[in-house]
Amino acid sequence: MTERRRLRSLVTLAYLNGVLPIKTQPLYLLNLIASPLSFLFFIDIASHGVLLLYGISGGMVLTVLTIGSSLQTDMSHYRQDLKWQDVVVASPVEATTYVAGMALSELLYSLPGMGVFVALWIFAGGGTLLGAVSVAIVLLCVWAFASALGFTLATYFEDVRETWVFAPFISLGLTVLPPVYYPITSLPASVRPFAYLSPTTYAADLLHNAIGIQPLGFDALLLNWGVLLGFTAALLLLAGLKARWRDP
Amino acid sequence: MAEGIRARALTKRYPKSKTGPPALAGVDLEIPPGRVFGLIGRNGAGKTTFVRICATQLTPTSGELTVLGLDAVREASEVRTRIACVPQESRPLYFVTSRQLVDLYLRMRGADRTAAALRAKEVLKELELTEVADKLVSHLSGGMRRRVMVAMVLASDAEVLFLDEPTTGLDPVARRDVWSAIRRVARDNRTVVLTTHYLDEAEALSHELALLEGGRVVLEGRPADLRGRVRQPWRVTVPTEFPLEELRSYGTPSPVEGGYLVFATEPAARELAMAALQRGMRISLGPVSLEDLFLQTVGKPLTGPEEPLESEAS
Repeated sequence: MTERRRLRSLVTLAYLNGVLPIKTQPLYLLNLIASPLSFLFFIDIASHGVLLLYGISGGMVLTVLTIGSSLQTDMSHYRQDLKWQDVVVASPVEATTYVAGMALSELLYSLPGMGVFVALWIFAGGGTLLGAVSVAIVLLCVWAFASALGFTLATYFEDVRETWVFAPFISLGLTVLPPVYYPITSLPASVRPFAYLSPTTYAADLLHNAIGIQPLGFDALLLNWGVLLGFTAALLLLAGLKARWRDP
Repeated sequence: MAEGIRARALTKRYPKSKTGPPALAGVDLEIPPGRVFGLIGRNGAGKTTFVRICATQLTPTSGELTVLGLDAVREASEVRTRIACVPQESRPLYFVTSRQLVDLYLRMRGADRTAAALRAKEVLKELELTEVADKLVSHLSGGMRRRVMVAMVLASDAEVLFLDEPTTGLDPVARRDVWSAIRRVARDNRTVVLTTHYLDEAEALSHELALLEGGRVVLEGRPADLRGRVRQPWRVTVPTEFPLEELRSYGTPSPVEGGYLVFATEPAARELAMAALQRGMRISLGPVSLEDLFLQTVGKPLTGPEEPLESEAS
């Protein structure tokens, strides 16, 4: 397949799964932002506004992480219930194009949510240009590893209901234990090592640094970027090697 | 020289089915290019497994398989650029219209916007779907949705089309629209591999067909030739009042609703018919159908209970 055709496939898939469902049911857009906004509300109320910026950065991470779980659910449903993945496998569309197109479509869903959190961030004082660029790169990494993980898991589940069984565990590992909504120092020392097993912890640390609520030293910054990019590369590699495009 | 599909000693055992018979137990099959090839068999016979392996959706356990001269395992990427498939029990994405589905499927395969729109229009017209072209798929009946799936794949420029039970759930008129479209595809010198439970469909569409049973090919050839190979090429139905022992002297009786179906040679069938008529019984007499052939070969009707073969849907 030529690069031009590959790009056409990718854009078509993003439009098919990202734009058309929203046209049919615009409430999909609110679905993705409902949880992050609820958490932000609770955190802001409970902390009397002190942890507002933590709530905003946590909301950004959670919104993008939700892409991974949405992708996993969509792809499981398309694969198991509609046999859509089989239709795509028996076509010139490659696995990487399919996943990229689907991940891009899920990103479209998250854009309004991200817009709300960016607006809140600006309202709460904003940040520097460098900080904004850092936030964008961190969130792109989160999008990439969450999508890779979502796709890989979706190809292993034999029923879409299995995704619901695993979702809380994945959520625990990616959004609850990592210090998305609070500083890592708030975690008990005995639990902290487990948090460091999750890529979200490094993403959250970098976000907290980028929006100026928890500055990191140069070494810590370097370490966090290295680990986040390493996790992202590893999960993309895992998807490339272990995701089942053709059934065993 | 153009090549179709060639399977040699193809086997498939599903990873979670370590014991019990394999889904495919050494299939040897030659599917010529530019033809409609029918695969028939009971549930669990291995039809869908075979189609999924050919369509590069499933890994075989052993054996060789080439599609269009390409190894279906090692050269799967090349194979995929030249095939299309309607999987068994597949359904269209529910949030699109029929037109959008066909159009976007073609664009996903790499067609440009103008060509895709034009082709979508043509195929929807051919399958009598123009009236519902701009309706959401979720608002269509099950049969219509199935027809949209078939339209989507027939619209492609793929050289080999795999249609796994494409007309399940369609009314007789819609089935014939699909048949016409499949015949047109074959006239374009493309290969169609069709699985079906409707033997009239297999007979009407297939240039050649294979009967699978227990993961093996038990009959293969042109429908007319297959009928010629039958030892007892005539069928007679008689009511239950006819003595069973006497029936056995004419041919091979099997119980059917309200009587017996007897397979026999032509002279024996005529004698049996005369004997029954002389006793004032209602009978039917005629050459065997593909369904009878199936019954004689497999010993069970096509629409019997499903065999408990794991992960095997057909």
